Amino acid sequence: MDFTFTEEQVMLRDAMSRLLGQHYDFDQRQQIVHSSAGRSERVWRQFRDMGLLHAPFPEAVGGFGGKASDLVLLAELLGEHLVVEPYLPSILLTGRALARVDGHAGALGWLERLMEGSALGALAHEEGHGTADITRIATELIPTDDGLLLNGEKRLVLGGTDADVLLVTARLPDGALAMLLVDPTLRGVGMECYSTIDGRRAANIRFENVRLAPDALIQSNADKAIQDIVHDALLALSAEAVGAMAALLTASVQYAGTRKQFGVPISSFQAIAHRLADMKLAYVKARSTLFYTAALIESGRAEPRDYSLLKAQAGRLGRAIAESAVQIHGGVGTTDEVSVGHHLKRILAIEAMFGPSEYHLRLVGASSVSAASAAPRREAMEA
Amino acid sequence: MHIDFSDELQAFRREVGEFLDAAPTAAIREAGKKTTSVFAPFKEVMEWHRILHAKGWSAPAWPVEHGGTGWSVEQRYIFAEEHWKRDLPPLLPNGLQMVGPLIMELGTEEQKRRYLPGILSGEDYWTQGYSEPNAGSDLASLACSAVSDGDDYVINGQKIWTTLAHEANRMFMLVRTSREARKQAGITFLLLDRMDYPGMVVRPIVGLDGLVEQCEVFFDNVRVPKSGRVGAENDGWSVAKQLLKHERGGTALSPMLRRKMTLIQQAVRSAPSPNGGVLADDPVFQRDLGEIEAELVSYEAYERMILTNHPIGSDPGMPSLNKIMSTELTQQLGALQVRVAGLWAVPSQVNALTVASGIDPIGDMFDLTAMPFYLNARATSIYAGTNEIQRDLLARTLHAA
Repeated sequence: MDFTFTEEQVMLRDAMSRLLGQHYDFDQRQQIVHSSAGRSERVWRQFRDMGLLHAPFPEAVGGFGGKASDLVLLAELLGEHLVVEPYLPSILLTGRALARVDGHAGALGWLERLMEGSALGALAHEEGHGTADITRIATELIPTDDGLLLNGEKRLVLGGTDADVLLVTARLPDGALAMLLVDPTLRGVGMECYSTIDGRRAANIRFENVRLAPDALIQSNADKAIQDIVHDALLALSAEAVGAMAALLTASVQYAGTRKQFGVPISSFQAIAHRLADMKLAYVKARSTLFYTAALIESGRAEPRDYSLLKAQAGRLGRAIAESAVQIHGGVGTTDEVSVGHHLKRILAIEAMFGPSEYHLRLVGASSVSAASAAPRREAMEA
Repeated sequence: MHIDFSDELQAFRREVGEFLDAAPTAAIREAGKKTTSVFAPFKEVMEWHRILHAKGWSAPAWPVEHGGTGWSVEQRYIFAEEHWKRDLPPLLPNGLQMVGPLIMELGTEEQKRRYLPGILSGEDYWTQGYSEPNAGSDLASLACSAVSDGDDYVINGQKIWTTLAHEANRMFMLVRTSREARKQAGITFLLLDRMDYPGMVVRPIVGLDGLVEQCEVFFDNVRVPKSGRVGAENDGWSVAKQLLKHERGGTALSPMLRRKMTLIQQAVRSAPSPNGGVLADDPVFQRDLGEIEAELVSYEAYERMILTNHPIGSDPGMPSLNKIMSTELTQQLGALQVRVAGLWAVPSQVNALTVASGIDPIGDMFDLTAMPFYLNARATSIYAGTNEIQRDLLARTLHAA
């Protein structure tokens, strides 16, 4: 059993942590959020120069690794620093999906551009159920004589606003799922753009009789590929939530130790002390689960329920920590001016995406019942 | 990051499984199935202890020089898993996990020679004499006194929550030897080599589950040799704190909790839901079960962080984190088992729960054990430092960091 990062991973994490410490403190982050682009080209270049845009990909496609622990390492820091750059949609979701596609020149070309930082991608997958269940996909892709016809609507497409390419999931007439690449400027693509509560840009995207060339289809029979994307998303979002929890715990311990009421630090009150203890318990549970799940994935032993369990714990424990952090900060915690409320909003957004905790908990419960071996019971009563 | 599922470990698992299938007597098996506490039925668990000792497997966590197995963390986990899978009674913790490691660390050579073999073999059972009626969470205010008299101490006072003292042949205890300085500085740690010293009286206490697990012990001018002292006179508080480490960490608890969960997950497939049908198909129940399953996996993960010395598991708050998590989960599982047993949890069945009673339970073994387990588990958040005290300690480690 080994749940530690390698030396190389620790070096990467330290470098990224230093970069974010210098260029992504809370005030700098707020400036970026309130800028017209809502993201920073400069930071993206720094990410590229540090190799972060290559880091989560297998060596076969020019990356540095792409193991589960790489995703965990990167996403934890993104969460801790409230990073709004489109790393999740463009690199982790779109990029890693493209890296799994076999022998499609267009897909590999886009992947190279994403890794170079010369283009941005977005995953157009969610349709409004707020679920990890890929069988809900209703967007239709119909082969025609000269190409393909796309119809449907995608919701909360992160980074969709300024993506150069959309990775779209859709259903073929035979019921199988497909992945395709769509140019967002094509006729029939309608975009409703907005900012999210957690400082990101996103879009609802409508596809109305969008005509596509045949090579837009990068993978048919893509059920497994799309499931893999969802699993990546669950892992990365959970790791982000855990990173946010670390920041929330640190901020709350510090605040409670310095804020005085009745002439003493509020941390000296048992009600506050126990709240902090509960936050630490929640954090340790969530982070242990995160590393344990990453180790299961890297040992080839992860089942869908393991991802669900992680997402559920990250969501519910994260929310508990974030709400406690706001409470401990008192009035100031309810303002836009300190980071804790922003971490809370990020965790709430994570909760909403790819299935909330309650959804995943039910999956975990149902799967644990069907996995348990059957044993006759209450024979005494029936006899 | 990885988890080892190598062929060698699978072979080890088979070897362990074959022994555990063959070695226990019918009475030991029955005692295991009827275990509703950390403390299994005494006679049978000590018999099982001696069988495991003969095999060389009674103390997986001990160093090899003292009779440990030399197993890796993975092997110890596998042993615990296979042991629990068969519902065998867990060896009592007082000797192997508490006073044994303490004697190894702080005892004299004579004490090690004299006491470790009996702990390892299961000849001896040690009860713990810490709490008193007026010294629970505030343990340092204990009053049971030991007065120096030549080569002896003369003890007067009372201890309570001395687990299975009515079965014990030895006792480790804290006594007050000075009232001059601060209260922590006047405490001494003693090993009592007998429970039948003149002036010692043990009174069993019946618990909520109807079983005797706890006792009171009264001391009336009890004369014991000073050779049983561990550490210096008046330095017993630091000795005891050392022991608390052993009490709160270092062993694999999660396989027990996992076994409990597996039994629950099997039971729900035929347990009636108040909404009709069986609980396994009830969406509300599935969600609730999912939450406790998730909490269990998180604890399993955390325990692995501790056992592999991961930074998360080496945090100064670890003993408190581990104690709170494991006991709250125990209580959640107890409540869940009672919920699943439903009406069958209500009959009072102390007699049927007694090993070799020959009395068939109303319902099955799951139903029989549900309520006693739940009731016994109320104590888990109280003993070994209440969970409120643990939260105080944990919060203190946060500010120190």
